[in-house]
Amino acid sequence: MNLKELISELKNKYRVLDEKFNDPNHTFVSIVPDQLHAALGELKSYGWKHLSTISCVDWIDDNEFELVYHLWNWDSRSQISLKTRISRSNPHFPTIMHIFPTAKYYERDIHEFFGVEFDGNSEMEPLFLEFWDDIPPMRKDFDPLKYSREKFGERDYKVPFADFIVEEGDQK
Amino acid sequence: MDRKMSPETRSALEKLADWFRARSIWMLHYCTGCGAVELPPSMTSRFDMERFGIGPMATPRQADVLLITGYLATKTLRRVIYTYEQMQTPKYVIGFGSCTINGGIYYDSYNVITRLDLYLPVDIYIAGCMPRPEAILTAFNKLREMIEKGEANGWKRYEENKEWYRANQLKALNGEVYVTR
Amino acid sequence: MKILESAAVIITGIVFGLFLLGVQRKLVARVQRRYGPPIWQQFIDVAKLFSKSSISHGFVFDMGVMMALGGTIATLLFVPIGKLQVLSMSGDFIVVVYLMAVASLGMAMSAVNSGNPNASIGVMRALTQMFGYELPYLMVMMGMMFAYRTSSILGMAQVQQGGILNWNLFRVPIGAIVVFISMFGISGKKPFDTPIAPAEIASGPMVEYSGKFLGSLTLMHALVIFVDISIFVNVFLGGASNYWFFLLKVLAVFSLMVLISSVIPRFRVEQVVTFSWKWPLFFAVIQSVILVAMGVR
Repeated sequence: MNLKELISELKNKYRVLDEKFNDPNHTFVSIVPDQLHAALGELKSYGWKHLSTISCVDWIDDNEFELVYHLWNWDSRSQISLKTRISRSNPHFPTIMHIFPTAKYYERDIHEFFGVEFDGNSEMEPLFLEFWDDIPPMRKDFDPLKYSREKFGERDYKVPFADFIVEEGDQK
Repeated sequence: MDRKMSPETRSALEKLADWFRARSIWMLHYCTGCGAVELPPSMTSRFDMERFGIGPMATPRQADVLLITGYLATKTLRRVIYTYEQMQTPKYVIGFGSCTINGGIYYDSYNVITRLDLYLPVDIYIAGCMPRPEAILTAFNKLREMIEKGEANGWKRYEENKEWYRANQLKALNGEVYVTR
Repeated sequence: MKILESAAVIITGIVFGLFLLGVQRKLVARVQRRYGPPIWQQFIDVAKLFSKSSISHGFVFDMGVMMALGGTIATLLFVPIGKLQVLSMSGDFIVVVYLMAVASLGMAMSAVNSGNPNASIGVMRALTQMFGYELPYLMVMMGMMFAYRTSSILGMAQVQQGGILNWNLFRVPIGAIVVFISMFGISGKKPFDTPIAPAEIASGPMVEYSGKFLGSLTLMHALVIFVDISIFVNVFLGGASNYWFFLLKVLAVFSLMVLISSVIPRFRVEQVVTFSWKWPLFFAVIQSVILVAMGVR
């Protein structure tokens, strides 16, 4: 199935908020959260069988998280990225493990770094960080520099050539 | 902390031992970062570390120098501490590259330490991103001089100021140094 | 007198063995177009190792190291170095083979007791490899013992007197090659260095040794190499009537081994056994049949 045909079919069946072609073989489709699972299942049956990854974007001004599911089709060599937005204040989303079992680790990763809870995923303990003690570190309201200064300290040193560094703008 | 110990406190036997230690430096390289790529040219025919008696070793038990090449995340710092404590005294630490000095390009990372000397007693730092093989050989020759003069006593500092180092380690590692996972 | 002689033999073994290891490092460096460490580097390394602190992993760990070093030193006393031989009797070749096994066994015991999985893998590889090279080695040696009606190393050296062409190297050429190949296995040289393999199993049996234990094992390794090549020189190169001439022959054989081993890669462990039981064993059988059927002349 052609990517263009697929998009029009998706538009007929689901509430597609937005769609944008990145290049002829790659498109982004925004969809409402409660229809995402049905859309993923249908795409899988059409040949988009490979879940490349799940990514998460923190839209702090809109108070929303955006989950992006990247699907790849090995036959037509095309990619669809399904986007959906969920609330940032109480981030909960049903897991997609029953459609793509590999999602287990991607969801665990997103839970660790953004704090999104995936209901139905059995393993939600931290994957990479050990004994993390702050808000999830990839959120926009987390200040890594401040955290690093407090926790790991800062070296006091003098840069001997600091006077000779010319800032952009004061060149004369 | 007092870095220099007066060399006169060494007995003649220790001086002889230091003479031997200075001429046979076996290193364990902990290659987490990109610095490891500078070690093969230092060891092979162009720069040839082995002519100074410096050679790579496979395990911490056999090694004298812990060469930390590059950035350390908190997770790897934990393993570096295990490795260092498994080494047999006298042992030396070389911090390699800017990442171990002030964090380098990871100066604001939530998970990468910025100063290695808070957690392990570093004898020598090699600045650079990355240091060239010439710099590595210079550092090793400097270490050799320091060992011979009895100045490379980081392992003694670690034993004497164990509480201070342990407190720093606990702070960076969120309250637990030894984990069994 | 015996005590002085044993001291002389042990000191010769240790000093010359470490010197051989130094030569090895220098030769390998020159083959790789490096300058290489000074030739006395190995002495510095061993002295440094004895000056470091070391950690023990229990009684068997300590005893195994002592057993390995002691077994090798006991082997050394049976080996004639020129005219210098401390212990001599008929059948001392068989004793030497058994004592070498004691050394390997001590090392295996000690390494396994350290509890490190890499050590266990290394020991398993070392014992598997032993199956490979010991069989052709012993087969040739037994054939020669039968042909010469003697099983003493000195006796074997004495029957070759009278000119270079009387050397077993020329009388028993196929056997000499088989034993030469097996020697790579006994001394742990490439391509037979599967048990050590620093890049795969972190130096195998040696993984938990530190300080004086590693120093003792380095001494043991030096002695094993010296004993191993001394037997080859006595049995195939006619021994030597002169102490210095003997050491020169050992050095020559060792250098040849190092030059060969520095340009070939390592076998996998099952390749070691497959290879040893295919070609060396095949030629060993041929050589033994010739020796038994026709004698040496």
